Amino acid sequence: MSSPLPANEPAGLDRRAFLKTVSAAGLGLALTRATPAWAQAKADGSVSPNSILNIALVGVGAQGRVLMDAVLKIPTVRIVAVCDIWEYARTYGQRYLKKSGFEVRAYENHHDMLAKEKDIQAVLVATPDFWHAPVTNDCLRAGLHVYCEKMMSNTIEGARSMVKTMRETGKLLQIGHQRRSNPRYLVARDRLIRDAKLLGRITAANAQWNRAASDDLGWPNRAAMSKALLEKYGFEDMHQFRNWRWYKKYGGGPLSDLGAHQIDIFNWFFDTTPTTVIGNGGRDYYPNHEWMDNAMVIYEYHLPEGVARAFYQVQTTTSAGGGYYEQFMGVNGTLKMSENPKYTSIFREAAAPAWDEWIRRHWLAAPTAPASAADTTEASSEKVDARETAELASYRLPVVLNKAIHQPHLENFFNAIRGTAKLNCPADEAFKSEMTVFKAIEAVEKKTLITCTPEDFAV
Amino acid sequence: MNHLALRSSFLLLAAAALLPFARAEEKVPLKLQLPKPMFVGTPVPVKLPNLETPRASGRRPDFMVPKGVVNLALNKTVTSSDMEPVLGDLAQITDGEKAGDEGNYVEFGKGKQWVQVDLGAASPIYAIVVWHYHSQARVYKAVVAQLSDDPDFIKDVVTVYNNDDRNVNGLGEGKDPTYIETNEGRIIDAKGTKARYVRLYSNGNTTSDMNHYIEVEVWGLPAQ
Repeated sequence: MSSPLPANEPAGLDRRAFLKTVSAAGLGLALTRATPAWAQAKADGSVSPNSILNIALVGVGAQGRVLMDAVLKIPTVRIVAVCDIWEYARTYGQRYLKKSGFEVRAYENHHDMLAKEKDIQAVLVATPDFWHAPVTNDCLRAGLHVYCEKMMSNTIEGARSMVKTMRETGKLLQIGHQRRSNPRYLVARDRLIRDAKLLGRITAANAQWNRAASDDLGWPNRAAMSKALLEKYGFEDMHQFRNWRWYKKYGGGPLSDLGAHQIDIFNWFFDTTPTTVIGNGGRDYYPNHEWMDNAMVIYEYHLPEGVARAFYQVQTTTSAGGGYYEQFMGVNGTLKMSENPKYTSIFREAAAPAWDEWIRRHWLAAPTAPASAADTTEASSEKVDARETAELASYRLPVVLNKAIHQPHLENFFNAIRGTAKLNCPADEAFKSEMTVFKAIEAVEKKTLITCTPEDFAV
Repeated sequence: MNHLALRSSFLLLAAAALLPFARAEEKVPLKLQLPKPMFVGTPVPVKLPNLETPRASGRRPDFMVPKGVVNLALNKTVTSSDMEPVLGDLAQITDGEKAGDEGNYVEFGKGKQWVQVDLGAASPIYAIVVWHYHSQARVYKAVVAQLSDDPDFIKDVVTVYNNDDRNVNGLGEGKDPTYIETNEGRIIDAKGTKARYVRLYSNGNTTSDMNHYIEVEVWGLPAQ
């Protein structure tokens, strides 16, 4: 897998130079905000007309709209077609893009689109999970590069087929684990953990994604699809179509929808796959759903330095507990990462070697004082135990992502098509995380310890 | 009729003449029919310099209005700077439906956009209540509410709310706070200003550059 970060930066590389390095190597061309970005870039000569890619979007639901917004900020890409079985969604896509300067053609399914669109180089797939493999495989075989949202599929067989088709066709297949192209994550993993070894030996990790309880999604009655149309595309009814994430026929539930992003970070940061997983969880709150609404799992990883265990929880009935993050805990420090910079901190253990060198190099930003150090009025009755460790100083990550969070990953995909980058999350790499999630689901459903072998992660 | 009787009659007439004003001054809490709360997704901290602190708990304090106010905007004509919304149609903004789920909001284009309600006649307006989008904890930017009898909002424009602290709309710098959208909607004090047209501006939100409206209510006394 490619990394946009050089393994060893010369000492004294400042933040600006470092960010420039990240941008040039991993994020592609400098961006301008324009509408449409591709037309502006073409007009002002900043992008060669030959380098503009024509792409299509299959699936204009919530995630498709997120991708559409990110693509609109990239001046070297032009959306020419959208595809969705729901007229309401594809009309939305068509009108939305029209307001951004794109006259796009709309199709009900990808077969019609592939038959008529002969000038597209790539497709973004953001359908419900059970359509990922068929759409992706058809597009790859049609000679197109594909960016497919995670999970790759709702079945292991579906995910394996995508890897095989990628290899057979020689086309690119990027999976939408967008954190792998986020410069903040790249710096944290490659620089702070791998190069500087700030955390020392990592013994544990934990991650979570907690969301408040919510009602099922509705739909405007005037826009409901007919039963025949729904059945044509594998859906029971409008309710299941709108709430497909909760049904086993279509998706993988919260461990797949939310957990996949963060469980992928376990594998990516540890640079290996787990050996076992144990879990618990259930469908305890939403009686009409098929999938569990909460889960807690513990993986065991065998790292070169020793064993590390990683706890993951997903809750869909409470937003408490600090939102969403991934945390890696070592004997010298802890890295708490999140796509939201407000949830991100690096904590230094009091007995760890000094981190002044890394601050001087601008790999870290100076710490904020622990709250208790500033608070001298604390009542002695609030002191819990004389052996309690002092509160840790909190350092900051001196990298800012000033783009939509999916944009760098899409840019990596488009640059790979042009031959100027390697994919940050090709399907065979993503398959390992896919399997890691399936193993957790199996552990929760069987409520037992599941063993993972190297063969499980191979295709 | 003697002098005393004349004086009594005069006082009675004066009291009768003042009665409508006395009634207008009688204040009652504004009663709104609120849609079901609908926050979905992961809470994301919103950081804006002029963001008001969300109420920690409890119900919103009563907003007092003269007795007899009605929603003058219900089913009234809506126009917009963007007459071809991405989603929905303009009539939805005054149709009384305030649910926050898919299909109940109108999505307008990026940047500065406005919607305008024609009340049909100039009326004293006491409260404007707006629901932009309440299934996520979003903040709509540069929200401005104006009243006028001029449909083009050129003459005699009264601004009753403006949180455009950087004047991105070009309507003047505003000192009012930005706020997180909820199912409660935002009550804007219109202070009894008499007007026929109500115009609301926004300029994107903290989730996207687009503009949205679920419902606009205009509470006032019917025109005499």
